[in-house]
Amino acid sequence: MRILLATLLTAACAMPVHKDYSKLLAANPRAILIVPALNKSVEVDAPDYFLSTLSVPLAERGYYVFPVNLVKRMLEDDGLSDAALVHGADPIRLCNLFGADAVLYATIERWTAKYILLSTQVEVEFNYVLKDGKTGDLLWEGHEKSVYQSNSGQGLLADVIMAAVTKAKPNYMDLARGANSRAVEYPGPGLPAGPYRPEYRMDVPEVVRVRGKPAPASKPNS
Amino acid sequence: MHRTMALGSLLLIGCAPPTMYKWSGYDVALYDHYKSPQERALFVTRLAAVITNAEGQGQRVPPGCYAEYGWALYEEGRGADAIVYFQKESQHWPESRVLMEKLIRNASGLRAPAGAKGDAGTVEEGRK
Repeated sequence: MRILLATLLTAACAMPVHKDYSKLLAANPRAILIVPALNKSVEVDAPDYFLSTLSVPLAERGYYVFPVNLVKRMLEDDGLSDAALVHGADPIRLCNLFGADAVLYATIERWTAKYILLSTQVEVEFNYVLKDGKTGDLLWEGHEKSVYQSNSGQGLLADVIMAAVTKAKPNYMDLARGANSRAVEYPGPGLPAGPYRPEYRMDVPEVVRVRGKPAPASKPNS
Repeated sequence: MHRTMALGSLLLIGCAPPTMYKWSGYDVALYDHYKSPQERALFVTRLAAVITNAEGQGQRVPPGCYAEYGWALYEEGRGADAIVYFQKESQHWPESRVLMEKLIRNASGLRAPAGAKGDAGTVEEGRK
């Protein structure tokens, strides 16, 4: 229910946005390594909770995603239990370790709940960065924010009930899921279809596709 | 309030396509595991359910899920059982092969903890 309200508060359906996909299309990653999120909020549990929401949207875009809990534990066993260390590590080495084509670094910019009078405002904000496992280049980036405000506008009693309910349990997870799906949604600023989607390689405009390749014989030019 | 919800539903139906995979609450299982790590048995059972639900309906098990379950078994010292699932991940998702080969090697060298089932020749289909 809250996700619906959040959907209303932010963009309803993402509009196509022109973005440079040339590097992403040239790199053509199949397998994405999702590493534990970097936390810039004060909520210590946020990175683990957030990590649990990342596999589904990326896999549904048609990419192979490595199992996030397994990856997290393996990194911990390798002495990389601090997400800052993982994010600071060489993406090429990281991808080699797992056999991944690209690595997704997600950062939690905000994960907060504010209680003002009878209303509750829950806010999450994330950055997503995808880097190439062969070159370390930036392939794609995204930024999303979700806000939930309990403001039923149905009179004082309803507001009190709403505030009490939400205060007891601000639902960050629905907000995070909403932000993730908007981030990867395509057409939009999101990710073009990966190899497991039927529209793979057919959902990007011709211009982008041509630019994505190092122009091999696309125009027998003078 | 109700009107807003209905509107939201309409917008959501307009935007959200049906999912490619049957996830059976994989993300919720992870979330609950991080929230209550002491409920480990439940976590393992739910990971197993993700696999059996998809397989039971003849659907492809979502990427990473065989391996995630295999890893949970590996952490419990059930090396032989873990290998079965690492192999399945590798067979169904060629992208995972490099990692799965590594994990299979590790799990093969795993000594079963005292009281646990020995891992020599007891490869079984895992719990259903």
